[in-house]
Amino acid sequence: MTYQISFRNEGEMPDLPVSSGTTLYNTTGTWRYVRPVYRNKTSPCNVACPAGEDIAQYLGLVAKGKYQEARLRILEENPFPGVCGRVCPHPCESECNRAELGGSISIHMVERFLADLAGGAPVQRLPSNAPAGATVAIVGSGPAGLSCAYQLARRGYPVTVFEAWDDLGGTMRLGIPAYRLPRHVLDAEIAAIARLGVEMCTGRRLGDNLSTADLRAFSAVFLAVGQQKSRALEVAGEDAQGVVAGLDFLRRVNLGMPVEVGARVAVVGGGNTAMDAARAALRLGAQTVTVLYRRSRYEMPAIAEEVQEAQDEGICFEFLTTPVRVLTEDGAIRGLQCVRMQLGAPDGTGRRRPEPLAGSEYTLNVDVLIPALGQEADLAFLEHWAGGGLAQTLSMANGLLETDAAAQSSQTGIFVGGDSATGFGTVAHAVGSGKRAALAIDRYLHGEDLNGFPALDQHVHAAPRDLDPAVVRFADLNLAYFEELPRPEPKQRPAIERKRDFAEVTDGLDEQQVQQEAHRCFSCGTCNGCDTCWLYCPDVSISRVDHSDYQVNYDYCKGCGICAQECPRRAIVMEEELKWKK
Amino acid sequence: MSYDVSESELLASGHVACPGCGAPMAVRYALKALGENTVLIVVASCWSIIAGPFPYTAAQVPLLHTLFATGGSVASGVKAGLEARGLQDTTVLTLAGDGGTFDIGIQALSAAVERNEDFIYMCYDNEAYMNTGIQRSSATPWGAWTTTTPVKHPKDQPKKDMVAIMAAHRIPYTATATIAYPEDLIRKVQKAKSIRGSKFLHVLAPCPSGWKSEPSQSVLLSRLAVESCIFPLYEVEHGEEYRITVWPKARVPVQKYLRLQGRFAHLRDEDIGRIQENVDDEWQKLVTRSDRAKAPGNVDQAF
Repeated sequence: MTYQISFRNEGEMPDLPVSSGTTLYNTTGTWRYVRPVYRNKTSPCNVACPAGEDIAQYLGLVAKGKYQEARLRILEENPFPGVCGRVCPHPCESECNRAELGGSISIHMVERFLADLAGGAPVQRLPSNAPAGATVAIVGSGPAGLSCAYQLARRGYPVTVFEAWDDLGGTMRLGIPAYRLPRHVLDAEIAAIARLGVEMCTGRRLGDNLSTADLRAFSAVFLAVGQQKSRALEVAGEDAQGVVAGLDFLRRVNLGMPVEVGARVAVVGGGNTAMDAARAALRLGAQTVTVLYRRSRYEMPAIAEEVQEAQDEGICFEFLTTPVRVLTEDGAIRGLQCVRMQLGAPDGTGRRRPEPLAGSEYTLNVDVLIPALGQEADLAFLEHWAGGGLAQTLSMANGLLETDAAAQSSQTGIFVGGDSATGFGTVAHAVGSGKRAALAIDRYLHGEDLNGFPALDQHVHAAPRDLDPAVVRFADLNLAYFEELPRPEPKQRPAIERKRDFAEVTDGLDEQQVQQEAHRCFSCGTCNGCDTCWLYCPDVSISRVDHSDYQVNYDYCKGCGICAQECPRRAIVMEEELKWKK
Repeated sequence: MSYDVSESELLASGHVACPGCGAPMAVRYALKALGENTVLIVVASCWSIIAGPFPYTAAQVPLLHTLFATGGSVASGVKAGLEARGLQDTTVLTLAGDGGTFDIGIQALSAAVERNEDFIYMCYDNEAYMNTGIQRSSATPWGAWTTTTPVKHPKDQPKKDMVAIMAAHRIPYTATATIAYPEDLIRKVQKAKSIRGSKFLHVLAPCPSGWKSEPSQSVLLSRLAVESCIFPLYEVEHGEEYRITVWPKARVPVQKYLRLQGRFAHLRDEDIGRIQENVDDEWQKLVTRSDRAKAPGNVDQAF
C-alpha cells in the first residue's frame, strides 16, 4: 500500500491546503542506526535451579492464572514438583533479585501450590524417537534414577528401574521424614512416572541379586545408587548398642520399622540428616534431644529454616563441641564424653576449622547416640564389576564415580549420576543429573556424539527456551516500575502440636498468596507483556500481538531506544543496524 | 494490560519528531484521552514540523496550523465556530511550545483565559526554542546552556512560573504533567475535557537535541524531573485548590537529573547546590499550599 500523494496539476490540488494523507508515507525507519530487538534474557533463579526449571516462565504463567500450563512447564524439567516444593533448599530464592526489595519470591511455595493442584493434567509424553530395540536399565530409584527414567520413558524408551530396597524413591523415601514430605505426595509423583510405562523392579541390589551380566542385556545403563554409607564417628565405643548411624535411623523410622529412642538422644552433626534424625527422634517420644555440632550455628550446612523449626520444637543445640568417646556399660551406651571446640583459621571449605580446647572435657548422659556426620557412596558392588563380563571397573574420583559432562562413566554406554557421581546432595541436583543422563543416553542410542553438554555445575534443560545467556541482576532492572512488597510466610502447625506426630509441619500458600508472589516476581529478563514499551514508543511503532507479544514496525522505528531503556526487566536489546543489513 | 490507557491511536507513525522527542508522546496521550471528537490548534512550534508537510498529517483529528502568537485567539474563534454549527461537544486543544506560550503567545492566551473561553491549552515545554536552533525562552531554567546563553553566560534568570500566572487568572483548571506519567497526564486531560471554561496544561517534554541528552533517556529524565521535585505534578482548581497528584517515591537529588543533560554540564557543584536549595524551597511551598486530604495515592509519605 502506498501512502504517497501526488498532484499532477494545479486542478488536482485542494483550494485550501488541507492534508488528505497520513505521515505513514514517511518511513522514518531509515533514520535509525540501532534497532530494538526483543530478546529474553536469563533470570538468576533459572541459573540457580539445579533441576533446570524455567522459573521465570512458570511464575509468569501463574500470574496469568494459567496454573495447569505452569505445572506442565515444571514437569517438562522435573517430575517431582511436589517433593522439591517441600524439601528443596531453593537456591533459586537465594539468587532472587526480589530479595533486595521486600524479600525473595517464595518460589518453592508456588511450585508446591502447582504440584498440589487437584485435577492436574497427566504428564505429557513426547513423540517417541527411541531407536527400535533400544532398552535402558536404571540402577537406583532415587530422584536421579527416576528423573532419568521419566525423561526416557516420555521419549518412548522401554526403561527398567532396579531398586535395592522394597520401596521406591531412594533418599526421598528412606531419608526424608514424612513431616517434611508427606508420603502421599511422593507416592503420587512416583506413580505418575510408573504410568509412563517404566518397569519398576524392587528388591534387586547390584552386586547381590542384580549382576553386571543382567545389566549387559540393556543398550545403556544409568547408575544412580546414591550415598547410603554414613561416615563413622571415629571415636572409641561407637559400636556400642544404642549408637545408630543417622541414615540407618532415618531409614528405619521412614519404613515404619520399630525404633527405640530412649529418653535422652544425642545427634552429632550439623547437616540436614542431623536435623531430620533429631526431629524424628523427638516425634518418637524422646524426652530430650540434643544436637552436638563442632562449629557454630553460622557454619551449619543444614537449611536454616530446618534449624529454626527444630529449635522451636524444643531440640537443644550445643555448638562448638565434639564427642571424643562413647561411654559404655555392658556393651550399651550410657553417656558421651565431649570436648569443647574453638574456631581457628579457615579450612579448604572456607569455614573456620574447629580445634579442641584443652581441658574442656565434659560428660553427657545419653541413651541413644545418632552420628550424622555426612554420607558417602557405597560402591562395594564395583568389586564384582569387572568380573561380570565388563572389561574393567569404573573409575573413581574423590570417592565418587567419575563422570564427564554427558554423565558418561569411564565405560562407554554406562552413565552415572546423582549423589554417587556428583555428591551435590539435594533432590533438585539429582533430578538435574538424571535428566542430563537421559538426554545423553538418548543421543548415545542414536549414535550421536556427546559433546556440548553444559559443565556439571550448570543445569540442563529438556525443553530449553530461547534465552540470551546473559543473566539479569538487580542492578539491571528498571526499579522505577517496582515497589517494595513483603514476602508472605506460610503458616506452620504450632511446635507443641507438630512435635507429637509425623504430619506435615508447614502449610502451603493459598491461591491469593500465590498470586501475590507471581505478581511480585520481576520476571527478570523475560517479557511478560507489561505494555511499557508499547506505551512509551514516541513513534507509535510498537504493536501488541496476542496481548503478550510485541512487534516493532521497523518501517517507522527511529531507534531512540526508549523501549529498551524503560523495559522494567531488560527484555529488549538495541542492536547496530549494520548487523541487520548484512 | 497493566496500564489504564486507551488502545485508540490517533497519532500516526511517520511524524518527523527527532528520535526520543517528548512532544509526540504528550500529544499521543492527550489524543488517547480526548478521542476523535477533537480539533487541534497548532501554533508555530516543533509540532508545526512534527505534524508533517502538506498534504500529510500525523494527527488523525482535524489540526489547524496557525501563527506563533495566536494560540488563545484562534482556539477561541474555532470554538465559537464549532458552537455556531451546533458542535458543542467538540474539544478544542491548543498545542504550543514554551516559546509560543511563555513568550510570544502569552498575550492572546491571557486574554482568552480571562474571557474563560472553553478550550484546553496544552503547552509542551522543552525549555527553549528548539525548532529554530535552541534559543533561550522564558521557560529555560536558570543555569542552562542554549545557543543564546552560551556556557560563558548561561541563563541567569529563573524559569517563569507559568502555572502561577494561569492560576492567577482563576481559571477552572490548571495542571502540570509529563510524559513519564502517561496515566496521570491522561487523567488530567480527561478532567480538563469534563470542565467547561479555560484549562491550562503545562507538560514537560524532554528534547534530546536541545537538552544534549540521550534519546533513550527522555522518559527517565521526565521521571527524574518529578522524583527530584524540579517539576512536581500537581493541579490547581479555580486558582486556589492546589493538589499534588504524584508524590515522589523517593526524593532524588536534582544533580541526578541535571548531570544527565549536556546543557547543564558546565554547572559547578555550588551551582547545583543553589538549584537544589531553590527546588527544596519551591517544593516546600507547594506541599504547604496543596490539599493533602484530596491527594490521590501516597499522601502519607514524609514530605
